[in-house]
Amino acid sequence: MFALTSRSALLLGIAVLGGMGALVTGSTSCASPPDNKRYTEILQPDYATYRTYVDPYLQRRCGTLDCHGQPGRAYRIYGFAGFRLYNVDAGLVSGQQPTTEDEVLANYQAAVALEPEEMSRLMATQGAEPNKLLLLRKPLKLERHKGGPAMSEDDAGYRCVVAWLRIRTVRPTADGLDFETIPEQEREQLPVLARQRCEEAQSFP
Amino acid sequence: MRRTIYQHDANAKHEGAPRLAWVRGLLAVGACVAVASIGSSCNLDPVHRASVNGLGPEEADLYPVESEYHRPGEPCALCHSTKGPADSVFVLGGTVFWGPDDYNARVDNAYVRILDANKTKRCFVTNCNGNFYVRKEDFSKITFPLLVSVERTVKPGQDESTLVIRRMSSHIGREASCATCHIQGLRDFASPGQIRMFNSEQEFKDKNIPLIDCPPPEDFVQVQKCPEDVN
Ligand code: HEC
Ligand code: HEC
Repeated sequence: MFALTSRSALLLGIAVLGGMGALVTGSTSCASPPDNKRYTEILQPDYATYRTYVDPYLQRRCGTLDCHGQPGRAYRIYGFAGFRLYNVDAGLVSGQQPTTEDEVLANYQAAVALEPEEMSRLMATQGAEPNKLLLLRKPLKLERHKGGPAMSEDDAGYRCVVAWLRIRTVRPTADGLDFETIPEQEREQLPVLARQRCEEAQSFP
Repeated sequence: MRRTIYQHDANAKHEGAPRLAWVRGLLAVGACVAVASIGSSCNLDPVHRASVNGLGPEEADLYPVESEYHRPGEPCALCHSTKGPADSVFVLGGTVFWGPDDYNARVDNAYVRILDANKTKRCFVTNCNGNFYVRKEDFSKITFPLLVSVERTVKPGQDESTLVIRRMSSHIGREASCATCHIQGLRDFASPGQIRMFNSEQEFKDKNIPLIDCPPPEDFVQVQKCPEDVN
């Protein structure tokens, strides 16, 4: 019978593969097994500030459906007036329900995950040289950007983002050998001037 | 044809991505077949060509073909671009509807107002099929992003008091066709649906606003300029 033959062929295949696997592990036994608990932690910028001050600006400036509110963008932005995060129960529709917490979090993650190592470096140096970040290089047009220049160093939106990145979120550990995350309640707040800039930036254009 | 495939049932519950993926897949296949069989657009960009062909042929029974009345609800500037197939290039174009669902109820003489990034204000008027379009030479310095609003007055050209006005809260980042975002017959996670003056078809019906034939009857007044542009 067909079903039977194909199944036994499959079994045979697995057996062969298994044999090869055994052979391979046998001959390379000097390699240490991978440690699946090991990972590189990303030093992350402050979420609370992002959520309240930065996300509304980035959504408005960058998140329209014809720009970063698109599945084709590596840096993807969700929100009320653009692309909605898929959620079976909520059935979010563009322009209908307000932006959800999940969407803001996804936006934050997209901004951080764009260049995790570079973001870590930036956090470790408390926001020094923010223009190394792709997130700013592109809109400043220091690098090719399909959407053209979308920020300039003297506009409120740029300053809002940079002020957010300057908020210290990590500090050296007591032994000075590593970094530890500063608990949220101990973090500094966004300066008043920066807050005003974030608000000003939201009214764009 | 896109709008038949996208036929939207107002009462149907939002079924989410799987259905759409399916529909979009079908659409893509349809587009490819169209390319293979007609090959109407001679542009070499396969993505552009597929999108154009995906819109299907002109429908002579619905509107005068290849005229300012044609293809209401479709992304005008997809074709009216340097990539073709149309010769004329538009920097903006779209269609305004009365309600959220009815494809056949479109707004004549609506004022589409644009505020661009240079704070330049311009206003354009829709025709009897709800279409408006802006040629490159008519707004050559247009600078994105844009803010937009749509107003319909009580009796355009005569009584210019507001009947209804709607403002898009977000802006247009770079897209010249309203319909690229406002996909006709589709309200979902990536489209707010057709541009509408009322939130429900019922609300529109209750107003007893007459629909205009298009091309229009002789006594129809096509407003050429928005009130603020009439000296
Ligand atoms: C599928 C492609 C396609 C789409 C979509 C499309 N057009 Fe056209 N249109 C054409 C072609 C082809 C012509 C023939 C004349 C030409 O080549 O410019 C034409 C002709 C016209 C003309 C007459 C020629 C002129 O420049 O005065 C107008 C006006 C026009 N279209 C407006 C619109 C508007 C408004 C929309 C959107 C609601 C639209 N078109 C959508 C392809 C398209
Ligand atoms: C980049 C995608 C995009 C483009 C292009 C676009 N829109 Fe919108 N539009 C939206 C979204 C999203 C909403 C719903 C949220 C909002 O109001 O911003 C909307 C809402 C609207 C509204 C309704 C606001 C209300 O009262 O609910 C109007 C009117 C409108 N758009 C007109 C236009 C016109 C006219 C054009 C073409 C000149 C256009 N739009 C092009 C995305 C777009």
